[in-house]
Amino acid sequence: MTERLRRFDILLIAGAFLLLLPVLKFQRATDFIIFCIFVLSFDLLYGYMGRLSFGHMLFLGAGAYGVTLFADRVSPNPYLSILFAIAAAAAVGALLGPIAVRTTGAAFALINLAFNQIGHFLALIAFARFTGGEDGMSAVFSKAGFLDLQDKRVAFGFCLACLLLTCWGMKRLTASPFGILLRMIKENETRVKFLGYDTFRYKWAAYVLSAAVAGFAGALSILNYGYVTPSFIDTNRNVEVIFASLIGGAGSIYGSLVGGVVFMTISNYLATYIPRWEMFLGLGLLLLVFRFRAGIWGMVSTLEVFRPRREGEGR
Amino acid sequence: MSEPLLAVDAVDVAYGNAKVLHGVSLRVETGEMVFIAGRNGAGKTTLLKTIAGFMSPAAGAVRLEGGDLRGVRPENVARLGVRYVFQDKRVFSKLTVRENLELAAYPSGERLADVVARVVSVYPAMEKFLDGKAGALSGGQRQILLIGRALAGNPKILLIDEPTEGLAAGVIEDIFRLLSGMKGRLPMLIVEQNLPVVARLADRVYVMKEGKIFQELSSRAEIEAPGALEKNL
Amino acid sequence: MITTLVYGLTIGGILYIISIGLSLTFGSMRIVNFAHALVYTMGAYFLVVILRVLGLGFLLSAAIATVAVLPVAAGIERFVIRRLYGESLDYAIIATYAVLLIGVDLIKWVFGATPIPLSDPIGRDVDLFGISFPLYRLLIIAMALSIHAGLYLFFKRAIVGKIVVAGLEDKDAVRSLGIDVDRHFAIVFLIGSGLAALGGVLYAPITSVHPYMGFQILLVSFAVVIVGGMGSLRGTFLSSFALGMVIALTGRYWGPAAETMVFAVMAVVLIFKPLDV
Repeated sequence: MTERLRRFDILLIAGAFLLLLPVLKFQRATDFIIFCIFVLSFDLLYGYMGRLSFGHMLFLGAGAYGVTLFADRVSPNPYLSILFAIAAAAAVGALLGPIAVRTTGAAFALINLAFNQIGHFLALIAFARFTGGEDGMSAVFSKAGFLDLQDKRVAFGFCLACLLLTCWGMKRLTASPFGILLRMIKENETRVKFLGYDTFRYKWAAYVLSAAVAGFAGALSILNYGYVTPSFIDTNRNVEVIFASLIGGAGSIYGSLVGGVVFMTISNYLATYIPRWEMFLGLGLLLLVFRFRAGIWGMVSTLEVFRPRREGEGR
Repeated sequence: MSEPLLAVDAVDVAYGNAKVLHGVSLRVETGEMVFIAGRNGAGKTTLLKTIAGFMSPAAGAVRLEGGDLRGVRPENVARLGVRYVFQDKRVFSKLTVRENLELAAYPSGERLADVVARVVSVYPAMEKFLDGKAGALSGGQRQILLIGRALAGNPKILLIDEPTEGLAAGVIEDIFRLLSGMKGRLPMLIVEQNLPVVARLADRVYVMKEGKIFQELSSRAEIEAPGALEKNL
Repeated sequence: MITTLVYGLTIGGILYIISIGLSLTFGSMRIVNFAHALVYTMGAYFLVVILRVLGLGFLLSAAIATVAVLPVAAGIERFVIRRLYGESLDYAIIATYAVLLIGVDLIKWVFGATPIPLSDPIGRDVDLFGISFPLYRLLIIAMALSIHAGLYLFFKRAIVGKIVVAGLEDKDAVRSLGIDVDRHFAIVFLIGSGLAALGGVLYAPITSVHPYMGFQILLVSFAVVIVGGMGSLRGTFLSSFALGMVIALTGRYWGPAAETMVFAVMAVVLIFKPLDV
């Protein structure tokens, strides 16, 4: 039964998010969606390629600042701004990729962290003239085309469509030879090299793609908020997306979505009841690492109901 | 029949999902010099590593003097008297030869001077290398150092993985003399592909193929029979 | 200029004291220990407590603070680090980061987030090359040099040190001799943590004591370790002072960019000398 359901999963995802609406205000629900896009971008690197980055906020920030600066200086057309933001984030990824991707494990995590710090410094201090420094700057978009993105409902629908597009893209990607190769690289890169593949190029491509999607999320965030600050590129916030990815379950689209929603729920609502937020995050992470590695979706998907039917098995 | 010194009982070992040892059983009695022969990939090193505690059997048992070795960490297996000499001829290259032996003497409590004396008596030439870095030793000298390390603290049994591999003929003779000097006094389980050495020294030979014990040659007559070893490989 | 150079050496000295533990843990256990920053922070806070509550002199307080952190480090080693042996590196990173988060939040809870300034404990200057330097800073440089000498001797002469050297090269071979290498690595972890605490104690009067001070020094420490090579005593020594100079010199000309420049250096080094972790 679930096999047939899988063909409609894009619709299912859309439906699930629409369910959020009665519970949340539009702008908040849009927040959830955008964060899920960010988690998806992170999962591409972590879950599929097996590389943990402690600096993914850099690309979110690149997209956020990119969209704002473009709207401010070139054209307030929201679609062009978003495209520019994606391109900007991808460019940063393309530039840093060759350095980062040569490393693995701890070095990868740290060097991305370092890049994030450099980016944060640039946004906060070095380019403060352009970015507004600590105060940030506001982003004003014009109404282009038939969608009025200032309307919170329209923005929600638009972002939901973007999420569905991202999910669809990820689905196609991970099923494609490229996606399979990424997972093989995660498991045993040396073997893939022996098979004759230039793993460097694949890793670089994945890095750029991940950066681009993160930039996409960053751009959408600004669309939702209308204001960018250095907190969008804050290194200390990397722990959020890592937590979300773990709690949802790394290496799966559903896992990323579940993780994104769960984390946003916790941070938006439980945070008021939990006084020591960082301690909670830390304890949660420890629990996840030592006990619940697979995350929520990981555990759920091992339940009988979700296992694909095998030949000859009765109902 | 009394309990053998070392008993391996129907051991299965797997790397992940791939089984590499299937129901392997062997024994070593006190004073015996037992060899394991077989082609590359037959599982000989895996077997030694499992006995030494570096790998865990998925099934079966490993017993030393009747005591179960399964689940015991390698350093504790060593303390119980099982000394494993790895196949790669790696020594602690940044330390001197003497310091290599010092580390070996440390857990056993045996005096360093005695450990050193033992090695020198077997291989007098080592004397002049004692204070040089172990990394400067040749392959054969390293092998002798490795065996010398393993002898510290009077072990109960030695597991040696391919002692003559990669060594020149003259050096092989040195190793041969070293091993035959210990024969009968210290039980040994040796993996070796150099068949003449096996033929000259073995009390018994196990031939391994594809992760199983293919054949056991249990008497000198069987071992010395012409082509006995070659044809089984 | 001379002031800047001496300042660079001071920072280099502190960096060495803090980073050497990180380097050794990294080299021996292959674990990126974010919690190292926590031990550093705790050293500084323990110092504050002892100075204020017990009212002891700086020297005694510093010594007590450094030692007091050791049980906490031992606890981290036993309950977190040890469970991460042989695990995927990523989990080790996340877990130690989590410990850091928890610890920092605890500190914030107990002490609040306002920075606590500490004054120069010696408060005297020394005249060198016609310029006067705070004696305290010169003392830090001297400490770093002594610690380096001490560690060098430790790894060369002490049996524990030799076991660790051998274990870094060939862990299984050491185990096959009957030596519990993990326990010896744990000893090294404790030594490294103690040094991190000492670093926190020494640096506290120069920087300000606040819950996030660990985060600031953490990345630079990692850069030091990566540039100098993990597990390398000499490498860490050289890279500490080199990067200390980078910070001081950059700080002189473009203040806020000081630490960022360190990362740029690290990136450049990584391009030409890719890491193998």
